[in-house]
Amino acid sequence: MRLLPLAFTLLAATVLGLGVTWFAVTESRGLDVVRSGPWQGWPRAGTVKADPYARAALARSGELPIELADGLLFLASSDDQGRPIDGRCVTRIVGVLPQARLWTLTLMDADGRLIPNDAGRYGFTSAEVVYSDSGAIDVRLSPRARAGNWLPTGARSRVKVVLRLYDAPFSFASGAGDAMALPRIEREACL
Amino acid sequence: MSMIDALRHRLPPAGPARRRVESLWARLARWPAGILLSAAVAVVLAGIAHIISILAMPALAERNAYARLSELAESNQMVMLADPTPQESVLPMMDPAFVSAVCLYDLTQRPLKVRVPATADYTSVSFYTAEGLAFYALSDQAAGAVVELDLMTPAQKAALPEDEEITAADRLVIVSPTTEGVVMVRAFVRERGLRAGVRKQLEAAGCGEAG
Repeated sequence: MRLLPLAFTLLAATVLGLGVTWFAVTESRGLDVVRSGPWQGWPRAGTVKADPYARAALARSGELPIELADGLLFLASSDDQGRPIDGRCVTRIVGVLPQARLWTLTLMDADGRLIPNDAGRYGFTSAEVVYSDSGAIDVRLSPRARAGNWLPTGARSRVKVVLRLYDAPFSFASGAGDAMALPRIEREACL
Repeated sequence: MSMIDALRHRLPPAGPARRRVESLWARLARWPAGILLSAAVAVVLAGIAHIISILAMPALAERNAYARLSELAESNQMVMLADPTPQESVLPMMDPAFVSAVCLYDLTQRPLKVRVPATADYTSVSFYTAEGLAFYALSDQAAGAVVELDLMTPAQKAALPEDEEITAADRLVIVSPTTEGVVMVRAFVRERGLRAGVRKQLEAAGCGEAG
């Protein structure tokens, strides 16, 4: 007669524990997060020092992360005000990028897939983008064609931006990554 | 209940926050002890289940990078990967500005030789264990124009003849912590028009068992 409560407790524990695991491996990419405004990076995910959460998340997704000696990935799914980046709005990515041999900026949908468009344009590289006189970039994410550095969002309700810095001289030992300035993400107008 | 009361009396009397905690305690204390105990046990067991599942995930994940790649590549052979498109991507989160090639390695028999030619732009070679853990990377800038290296297990490195190790000063030896894993070569495509050219250059990349 004590068996039913015991079974229920075990069931609840399993569901809760595995549920938290599922949430952790789908929503996060490891505990070791470096933040800069809305951008998040996981420098140690690309090293042998990756924490168990990063290892679990990468094993589940099947991604081969960029090795830290090769480069570093930053992901942003919200703007500077903390609002999710809406593909139906015009969003600007403005600012100077950190020192790196090259960088790429890629737009993805909420599931991490590239967004189809007629131009076949999924992002910009440091060689393709048009810089301002001060060396800053000004990229616009918009569902409609724009002059200048335009990335088509396909009017998806949620989009993510991936910034990859390759061969960049970083030091994370001092926590300097948190102070690293990355471009601002500003919502300009919604249609 | 008496234990909770004892705990409560030991707390110093203080402001509204403490009072709120105390009222929560009082409300919890009115619950049957059996339910509280079950809940506590459930939370502890859930924590254990969570930790075990996180730690076991790399070993249990069936669709990890190695499994995905072994569907289209033989061991110890360099294979070009299709460029990621909105419909299809061999692996998630691939950078569309890069052309990639992979070599799934198996060091059981003998070490692996990897040769990556210079391409028009930035080229990097990264090494991963079969569980997807990155353990080494080098770029063309660090290695010079053509990247040539030997990948081996710690035992194979220890078995290298002494004299060979002296002449191996210009030979790059990388030690793999596992016998199986992935070598991934990424070549940057500066502008879209150059993609075909970079792809052709990267096709000369190769890996194979050291003779």
